[in-house]
Amino acid sequence: MVNLNAVLLISFLLFSIGIAGVLIRRNALVILMCVELMLNAANLNFIAFARHSGSVSGQAFALLIMGFAAAEVAVGLALVVALYRKRDTVQVDDINLLKG
Amino acid sequence: MEHLLETIGRNMFAIFGVMALCGATFMVAAKSAVHSVLGFLFTMLCVSGCFLALDAEFLGMAQILVYAGGIVVLFLFVVMLVELSKFKEKGVFQLQSRYAVVTVLVGAAAFVAAFRNMIFGASSPEALVLRPELAKGLDVAQQNAQAVSRGLFSDYLLPFEILSVILLVALVGAVVLAKTERV
Repeated sequence: MVNLNAVLLISFLLFSIGIAGVLIRRNALVILMCVELMLNAANLNFIAFARHSGSVSGQAFALLIMGFAAAEVAVGLALVVALYRKRDTVQVDDINLLKG
Repeated sequence: MEHLLETIGRNMFAIFGVMALCGATFMVAAKSAVHSVLGFLFTMLCVSGCFLALDAEFLGMAQILVYAGGIVVLFLFVVMLVELSKFKEKGVFQLQSRYAVVTVLVGAAAFVAAFRNMIFGASSPEALVLRPELAKGLDVAQQNAQAVSRGLFSDYLLPFEILSVILLVALVGAVVLAKTERV
């Protein structure tokens, strides 16, 4: 049977890779994908705890998080498209309008 | 042969988990955005395999539908829409990337050091249960989708409705943000 700590380790590593991607990539699209990966790691944690406590709440919450992730990616991609129209770039380094 | 299959079946979660980690690493490291999207798709499929190994059948299928069916297609559309070839001359990674990688590795090592005795030890999962008035006429262990829906629509009805409003707002917001100016 699956050990809870093994699940936590996998989910922690997935979350770390997501954070590393957000920190080190320049492409806004890849950054969005890494945010999705972090949400998925959280989902994995919810389901692991649901499995190991016998409660159905974790799975219900994971479903809600999945819906939030879909809403977030829709708005994020719309922002990327608007940004590309306005500034002709999707590299986060080139976006420095607030820098003054 | 039978023994091998049995071993694979017992370690299904670890296999899918390691595959998901490989896909995520490929996603972060790939130079081309299309390769990143393909790595993302592979990772999502493996995570859904992890869900199945954790007895969350409904969520595993929902994961495939939502991510592989919806979000990956959206990402691919935007990648095709945005002309990425003109950014090729710039570096893929930020300047501080080596610090980020070192930080993540140190964090992972600390986690493994703290929990190394417990990762491979015995586990005590418990069977899924519902409150008796909700579980009426239902084999909770076998009918995962029904069990999740009964939990969702009894205890979490308000968050579910709020989520539907949020999805509507996100839909309108995405249309407003992405439409061409001065219509």
